[in-house]
Amino acid sequence: MKRALLVALIACLLTFMLVGNLFAAQVIKIGAILPLSGSAAATGIKLKYAIEVAQQIINEQFPNSDLPLAKTSGLPNLGGAKVEFVFADHQANPEIAKSEAERLIQNEKVVALIGCYHSSATKPASQEAERFGIPFIAGSSSSAALTERGLKWFFRIAPNDDMESEFFFKYMKYLNETFNAGIKRIAVVYIDNEYGVHAAEMAAKWAKEYAKDGFEIVAQVKYPAAVSNVDTEVQRIKAARPDALFHASYIADTTLFVKKYKELNVLPKVSLSYCGGYQDPQFVINLGKDAEYFAGPNAITSALFAKIPSAKFINDLYFPKSKVDIDGPTIEDFASAMVIADAINQAKSTDPAAIQKVLKEVSFSAPYFVLGKIKFNASGQNELSASVITQVQNGKYESVWPIEASTAKAIPAFAPWNQR
Amino acid sequence: MLFLLPQMVASGLMLGFVYALVAVGLSLIWGVMDIINFAYGEFLMLGMYSTFWFFSLFRMDPLFSLPIQAMVVFLLGFVVYKLLIKRVVDVPGLSALLATFGLRIFLRNLAQFLWTPDYRFINEAIVADRKIMLFDGMLILGMPQLVAALGSILMTLAVFYFIQKTRMGRAIQATSMDKDAARLMGIDTEKVYSLTFGIAGACVGVAAALLASFYPIYPEAGSIYGLIALVIVALGGFGNIKGALYSGVIIGLTESIGGFFLGAEFKYALIFLIYLVVLQFRPKGLFGW
Repeated sequence: MKRALLVALIACLLTFMLVGNLFAAQVIKIGAILPLSGSAAATGIKLKYAIEVAQQIINEQFPNSDLPLAKTSGLPNLGGAKVEFVFADHQANPEIAKSEAERLIQNEKVVALIGCYHSSATKPASQEAERFGIPFIAGSSSSAALTERGLKWFFRIAPNDDMESEFFFKYMKYLNETFNAGIKRIAVVYIDNEYGVHAAEMAAKWAKEYAKDGFEIVAQVKYPAAVSNVDTEVQRIKAARPDALFHASYIADTTLFVKKYKELNVLPKVSLSYCGGYQDPQFVINLGKDAEYFAGPNAITSALFAKIPSAKFINDLYFPKSKVDIDGPTIEDFASAMVIADAINQAKSTDPAAIQKVLKEVSFSAPYFVLGKIKFNASGQNELSASVITQVQNGKYESVWPIEASTAKAIPAFAPWNQR
Repeated sequence: MLFLLPQMVASGLMLGFVYALVAVGLSLIWGVMDIINFAYGEFLMLGMYSTFWFFSLFRMDPLFSLPIQAMVVFLLGFVVYKLLIKRVVDVPGLSALLATFGLRIFLRNLAQFLWTPDYRFINEAIVADRKIMLFDGMLILGMPQLVAALGSILMTLAVFYFIQKTRMGRAIQATSMDKDAARLMGIDTEKVYSLTFGIAGACVGVAAALLASFYPIYPEAGSIYGLIALVIVALGGFGNIKGALYSGVIIGLTESIGGFFLGAEFKYALIFLIYLVVLQFRPKGLFGW
């Protein structure tokens, strides 16, 4: 009798443990490391909102949406398991990004990581993911060096600064050929961190390639990551008399620069910004008419919503949180959240190796992007990443190039500051 | 390149005077109470937010709300002294340092919580977008910067006059030299301390109103100013207002001219290099006694 009781007790315990495990499996945790405080917090908070929207789309049901995982509740291949993004703040500090990655993996038991916006933070955080053998998907970090490290667990959605630099030269060539813009002299203005330094290297690399078209870099102006004013920097730029500006900056510094350009009457023909401050809609809100004519690559812009309804659907969920339309870097971080959930669902497991296999092999549906798909190559770079060149015209980010995706005509010169 | 030198000197001077005003208050606190107020940059940030809200809610231009900002941050300094600093001012060890450091983190996060980390600008200030062009456009003086520099000089001189010429100012000086002797002479050192914190607040309040018309307002806005102010105080001598003024100008010029010729990425490195060299050869600062 006693023996039968013991067996029954053990059976009960085992059942409870199993059921417990099943319940535990109902929530799959994914770490998201972002700059939620510090100098880029304004952008970081928006990225967080976008990832929350992704979580909402994955966990709730949206029968009318063509986004992956939208029609079902949770991950259908894992019994409707819900996904929870666990947020961590790296404060724009690479060391904190590293320790937060380790904490999320070891203490929070996340099955994958996404983030970190700053390439300088993504670098050490993704090395932690590599060390523990779990996937890391970077949404908007653009330093090409990230995918040149030969990491097995690292993937990136956004075009890197190598691709962006080439894109810039092609666009300027188009402006010269179509509008006879006369763009030759380029000044590269960049922040002193992983993102800025690497972008400047890529600009120099492509300037050599395009030297035959008359392009030359006449100034490389590097500035400190925390900056109180940019007088010196703008005077150096002014002294070089550039036709084109390449900016690798964040929202705070980029606004300071534009104000100083106006004050010291620096008037380029074109200004192109790497994935960073310009893409944040706060740029136009803060600068008003002074933001006109600035340009840069963007994965999405509100002007394209009519052409890409999925992006509009996402924006309808995103706007109430952020009070601004979704922008390029933000939708790239949104994509990183969607793709990792999609990969886990397709892997039918949270086993890291199975998720990695899916990430390496599958082409993911991404109807919110111009090309509609995401496919990672051997180095982890999304080979289908496509941006359009947007330019601020009448307070809106208009898509101006390539022509087939354009919503307005490019303006190849800046109107004088006092005539706007 | 040399034709840009006048512009660099002008920019450096305008910047330097604002730095000086920010540093004056810090210098007073340091000189009188022997406390490094790490939350000082955050006082500046709160002053800028206050300026911003006065502008957005009551359409009050930063220049007109300047006296109000001086009072607002004066009160902030006074309250911070009464609630926090008073308890740690004479406690040995690092208590005061850690208290102000904690306050800095608290204020910065409070600002982010209350007003989000978004960058705010006062674009329609009276001085905004105006400039003076001299020598056929060779020298451009931005009106906001020029007004900020002039305002900073006036406020610095006012504080100097107050400390040197008034009875209360002399009491502050006496307390700074020897607290116990001052108390024996009948000086209410408690009042001196709270007033010093208040005056320091008023200085950043004025600086905040002047900066708000051309500088972005966000929770981290004060941090770099707080850091540079520390260097200026150490350079100028603790509690030395004239020293802070001269050092502010030296730092502004170094940043502007040195940064131009050596590369903008080195401009802060250059400032801290000067600081280290001065500390080696003259630990009491260039103008300290």
